[in-house]
Amino acid sequence: MRKAKRRLVALTSRNTNLPRPPLVATVIGGNAIAMTRDPKQCAAAIVGGLKKAGIDFVATLPDEKMVEVIRAVAQDRELKHVPLCREEEGIGICAGAYLGGKKTALIMQNAGFLNCCNALTTTSLQFQIPALLLIYYAGDIGDRGFTTLGSVTEPVLQALGIRSYILRKNDEIDGTLHGAQILAEDSKKPVAVLLTKSVLGVK
Amino acid sequence: MQRYDYLKAIAPEAGDALAVCTGWGAREWWAVRPGDGNLKTRTLGLVSSIAAGLALALPQRKVIAIDGDGAFLMNLCGLPTIALQNPGNLIHLLFDNEIYEASGGTATASSMVDAVALARAAGYKYASWVGTPEEFRAEFVSTRRRGELTLIAAKVEPGQPKNLPPLRLDELENKYRFMRYLEETEKKGILSPGFDSKL
Repeated sequence: MRKAKRRLVALTSRNTNLPRPPLVATVIGGNAIAMTRDPKQCAAAIVGGLKKAGIDFVATLPDEKMVEVIRAVAQDRELKHVPLCREEEGIGICAGAYLGGKKTALIMQNAGFLNCCNALTTTSLQFQIPALLLIYYAGDIGDRGFTTLGSVTEPVLQALGIRSYILRKNDEIDGTLHGAQILAEDSKKPVAVLLTKSVLGVK
Repeated sequence: MQRYDYLKAIAPEAGDALAVCTGWGAREWWAVRPGDGNLKTRTLGLVSSIAAGLALALPQRKVIAIDGDGAFLMNLCGLPTIALQNPGNLIHLLFDNEIYEASGGTATASSMVDAVALARAAGYKYASWVGTPEEFRAEFVSTRRRGELTLIAAKVEPGQPKNLPPLRLDELENKYRFMRYLEETEKKGILSPGFDSKL
């Protein structure tokens, strides 16, 4: 009996490791629930969400997990893309662009967010300048290799008074990005959206 | 010659260019070119990046970054980022007095550094040292006309003139006046309407 149970568990876990279809989109009750697994599809959904939120200026510094998102930003003719050498300068570039009338987003890893803390404090917060911060949540639950980074990310955001939302489900992309952008504009502060592996379609 | 002497020489040529300044350079620039088209930054290093963002958002408008050696060295990684975007409306000015003047006057590393060579190596097509306020003015005027990303740098003596007027602005007042000035001169809405937009 015990043996059979163990075999069943082994089978189930093996089954979950089977390659998943690249894209599964189901429609339930009129609501499209995209259970997207393909990083390119996920990236397209995220960039689409940014554009629907009115973003037209995006500064980026890559994390391996966000490469497709950054490629999609770079290829989009409606978005001004500024690749960065260090994240802190991105806060300055986005601040200047905001003053000139752009709606800005900064895409980076949480290590890059930590690189930005002074600029966020003495430029974004001190001058009350909004920006959407799309931060890859390295060291998130289930993510290997960056647990120290993961453990300080949300406390540092809280210490800075930057409101943050974790994005895990594809069907929440549009609503979260749009809501975060409204919040950023209305509060005149940066707002962070933490991107996770599941929403990026990466392992 | 001090930074103020150079700023005084170019102020009459600045027209309606937007100016992003840092440290003592901000107070001196306001003295020679007062108005709401000036912004004083607060993050050491970011003056050039903020000016670049502004220049990218408003490509038809001249933008001047008034940089110092401490800020310039802190944000060296900003140079290739700016050069890659290559905003032709950005004029990057560097006044190098070899000290952190706004932070107590200790030495920077700039006596060992050729900032113009750094800018060129980072991808600026035009970058040059000038030796006098008159040369600086001439270079500034030709840069305005050329419309290409340019760094103009000068070694200057530390210090300010006596009786420099105080800057009676905090960051928020500076930001709002700057943005309202931009809305007026660019003829477009920039600030979001806010909660009472339906009233």
